[in-house]
Amino acid sequence: MQNTRKIPLLFLALSVGVVLLFLLNLWYGSVLIDWGSVLKALVGSDSESTNFIIVNHYRLPQAITALSVGAALGLSGLFLQTLFNNPLAGPSVLGISSGASFGVALVVLTGSFMGIDLLLPGLSYSQLIMVVAALIGAFAVLLIIIFVSSRIANIVVVLIIGIMIGYAINAMVGVLQFFSRSIELQAYVLWGLGSFSKTTLSQSITLSSTVFILVGISMFYPNSLNVFLLGKNYARSMGVNTQKLQFSILIISGILISVATAFTGPIAFLGLAIPHIARNLFNTSNHRILLPAVVVLGAFIALLCNLIAKLPGYDTSLPINAVTSMIGAPIVIWAIVKRAKIKQA
Amino acid sequence: MSIILNIKDLTTAYYVGTRKEKTLHQNIFAEVQQGELICVLGLNGTGKTTLIRTLLGIQKKGKGEVFYNEKPLKNINIRDLSRLVSVVLTDKIDDSFLKVFDLVATGRFPYGNISGKLSEDDINIITYSMILMKVEHLNDRVFAQLSDGEKQRVLIARAIAQDTSLIMLDEPAAFIDSPGKIGIMELLKGLTIKNKKAILMTTHDIESALRYADEVWILGKNGEFETGKPEIVTNSGLINEYFDNEEVIFNKSKLRFEKR
Repeated sequence: MQNTRKIPLLFLALSVGVVLLFLLNLWYGSVLIDWGSVLKALVGSDSESTNFIIVNHYRLPQAITALSVGAALGLSGLFLQTLFNNPLAGPSVLGISSGASFGVALVVLTGSFMGIDLLLPGLSYSQLIMVVAALIGAFAVLLIIIFVSSRIANIVVVLIIGIMIGYAINAMVGVLQFFSRSIELQAYVLWGLGSFSKTTLSQSITLSSTVFILVGISMFYPNSLNVFLLGKNYARSMGVNTQKLQFSILIISGILISVATAFTGPIAFLGLAIPHIARNLFNTSNHRILLPAVVVLGAFIALLCNLIAKLPGYDTSLPINAVTSMIGAPIVIWAIVKRAKIKQA
Repeated sequence: MSIILNIKDLTTAYYVGTRKEKTLHQNIFAEVQQGELICVLGLNGTGKTTLIRTLLGIQKKGKGEVFYNEKPLKNINIRDLSRLVSVVLTDKIDDSFLKVFDLVATGRFPYGNISGKLSEDDINIITYSMILMKVEHLNDRVFAQLSDGEKQRVLIARAIAQDTSLIMLDEPAAFIDSPGKIGIMELLKGLTIKNKKAILMTTHDIESALRYADEVWILGKNGEFETGKPEIVTNSGLINEYFDNEEVIFNKSKLRFEKR
């Protein structure tokens, strides 16, 4: 209870941080635009000006995407870590991002066979096709996971099946890669590196509103999740329908991961690392605090990673996964070591 | 005194999936009244935990029926059951950030509304439970870092916060040193006297069970089930019958096991 006063302050600081980073993301980039022009471009109607196009067509959707994906992955990571009672659970364990990869691999790598060459220059809807393919792939795996979990109450079995589906799908992608042209292969590899900058403004708004709704729904679960921390038997003894809870949590996190991955490609480490940072920063495992914390923190860190990715200042930015992994991996190592120390004590 | 739990002709069994593997105990007739401390005795592997799990509906039962306040268990949904019985289990809780206060607070879940915020009443009951179990000073500590004795008292405080007339405990005194064991038995006894709670606990600490219990239930190795007041089961030789072996014998006058 000693840090009850610290918590609102932390939330305030993080929220201010999110706003600042969001603005910095609009301002900073390979082309220098001063603050006045950024503002003018945002509210202005001169849709022909270069500044308007750069801010509204590139930087704004990118910032909205980063913010939404950070929140989505952080939230799903927390859900899955609590559900599986495992600090290494994250968006990749359910095989959902592999499902998305498979969808993309199918259209990108075999596109030329089916007569839709996505790599033709100037094909405006190719990006949309990839989003839809990724979404279908991700939802297909999610359906399998949900089917399995409705049959088998043991959540560890669901976890193992998710991981196995991931392996199986990666193998199929490997076969597709083997038979594809190098230019297609490159396009697929680029997708797999992840990027916040592929979305159009309307897509980023679709993404953010989906995430917003799911974040809203998540806020109904803090108490059941707190009870779930004590294990299934205790949860049951306190009147939690554990099977129903597992089911809802799987669906919510599954949709979050599917949507995020469809628009940006698989983003490494954010989902895994954000809950750990939140627990350490807020020094609690109370989901009343953690649920909003991972949302704000996720947005904060994703925007920060996006800004770092743009730092070199060239025409193109660093692959976002390189940045998230370089930040995420040490954090996860630190959190796991700390956890092990607490357990020894 | 009102009867809280009534067990009529219950059969407990060990299941693998839905397949019955082994019948453990048959013809169990017993009841638990308000303010009673009942110890379930039995050697390792006789099915003490299975009995608890069966009474809670976690485990499938064979024939027979279990009644809470005269209502059959099968007609009580888990939400209502959570306001009748709270439990202290042996399940490991190892979250590295879970604070003692937050853990005890989960006991209020059965009474929570959808917003999930703790009311002033909730906080009063949580604090009261922690004071009863002498763990209020551990408030802000991480549960996983406490000693086994402290952990057990925190878990009991959580059960008290759940505000049920019956508390079931599975081996609450295992892994705890002798002074700690007596401390816990005293606290539990106090709960039955001062707070009129009914307590049903399993234990293999026969000596302190005979000292503190109002009634003991004995689970035999071959499916036998006996109940009785501690003095009666002692004097009638039931303890000797179930627990003596080639090397150890129960001394009725000193209430302890001794070498033959």
